[in-house]
Amino acid sequence: MKRRVVITASSAITPIGYAKEDIIDHLRQGKSGVRPLVDDGLLTRHIHSHVFGTVDYVIDYGFKRQDRKTMGPVAYYACQVAKDVLERSGLSREFITSGRLGVAFGSTHGSPTVQRTIYKTFFGDLENSFSSIGAVDYLRSMVHTTAVNITRMFGITGRIISSSTACTTSSQSIGYGYEMIKYGMQDAMLCGGADEYDTTTVAVFDNLLACSVKYNDTPHRTPRPFDADRDGLVVGEGGGAVLLEEYTAAKKRGATILGEIIGFSCNNNGGDLILPNLDGIRTTLQLALDDAAIDAASVDFISAHATATKMGDVIEAQAIDAVYGGHPYVTGLKSYMGHTMGTCGVIELILTLYMMEQNFLAPTLNLEKIDERCSMLRHTPEVIDSRTVIAAIQNFAFGGVNTCLLVKNGKNLD
Amino acid sequence: MTRDQLHDTILQILTEDFEFENPALDDNLRDDHGFDSIDAIELLGKIEGFLGLTLTREEKEQAMTIRTINDILDYIEKIQLQRAS
Repeated sequence: MKRRVVITASSAITPIGYAKEDIIDHLRQGKSGVRPLVDDGLLTRHIHSHVFGTVDYVIDYGFKRQDRKTMGPVAYYACQVAKDVLERSGLSREFITSGRLGVAFGSTHGSPTVQRTIYKTFFGDLENSFSSIGAVDYLRSMVHTTAVNITRMFGITGRIISSSTACTTSSQSIGYGYEMIKYGMQDAMLCGGADEYDTTTVAVFDNLLACSVKYNDTPHRTPRPFDADRDGLVVGEGGGAVLLEEYTAAKKRGATILGEIIGFSCNNNGGDLILPNLDGIRTTLQLALDDAAIDAASVDFISAHATATKMGDVIEAQAIDAVYGGHPYVTGLKSYMGHTMGTCGVIELILTLYMMEQNFLAPTLNLEKIDERCSMLRHTPEVIDSRTVIAAIQNFAFGGVNTCLLVKNGKNLD
Repeated sequence: MTRDQLHDTILQILTEDFEFENPALDDNLRDDHGFDSIDAIELLGKIEGFLGLTLTREEKEQAMTIRTINDILDYIEKIQLQRAS
């Protein structure tokens, strides 16, 4: 059994806004969400990169204590976007709790903020504070904290997939959610990812010489995917969720259809855990086309992973060129907000859906002088009117994991 | 602490920290206020705090039969009595 899978609701908390209108405004006006890195009183003084994709606005969560008590910051993001998509979907409480709705949701490593609190106990006054390490700390910090806080808050009883594959966390969640519905295991899946403000991740990339350091005084000028003057990625935070449903059921109940997931691929490079791999990436792009049973010429727009690292962008450009040639427009959406880690796939999908709905494409921000090794691509030159029918969302992660999602415009699906 | 003082302190904790609405002494903590095992451990930590003592594992296990606010007060008085003897 193969069933069609559509997206019927979405929500994203991003460094360029939470409300759809704000996010679109940032894309249309070329406004960055990269800010100076907030001092954590611990690691920041050692870190060379002083920029961060920051969620700098207040969110009125309004969660009850019974829900809050098992939530770290990452689960707040996750539950808020989950609440949004369930409300927007119009699905009944009966369906949500029926076991026919599952959750595929993850984060890079749970809540590092809570983990740090536990470590402080380890290295502090352990004799008198041992008992402060409790079940709640685990529930707030564990790798699957986002997924199960969502199930708890809304009484969801279906399948749980809690991917934690760094930068492919949420794209993998959406892909596996799509397969759950496509092959009849679930009728709907709430999918996405979240990651909170965390300097540990910045320190890791900083020590790998992969973080941007030249634009500390002008945060909005970095990251610079595909640009000759790019100098690395910018870590960010956020959360995003989409609701996937089986097509005929969604249509029957009159749901708003934002897009259709028509293809997904996920593979591994089978070797180095850090370096981008041309064969691995090229293969995953082709596997997604095969899954969707379309040819490369059908794809109008590519949301590139494009983290703005020196090697990564070049390898990705080569893979796109090998599979697609110079036909589809290409944009690196991380240029607006940095790399939101486990969240980036779902956020980039949602931004692509917004652009599809509004018939425009935003260019890669800060792309002023294209690296000649990336110049064979058809970079989106500026904000342009464009009716995208099919888009590819590409994401690649530490560990050699690659994903590609193919999404079709929700207007006039046949 | 007298029972009245304990009562006031516990009610303050339950309303402010645990967000109980209109708690009554014989309310079932779980059924009426959603109080669960995680809350129980957290409450024991707060009891340790305001009594200025560290509960032993055995003393904590005695708390697992608590069902009502009255039970909480009985439990604290029992612990104080055990420690005094």
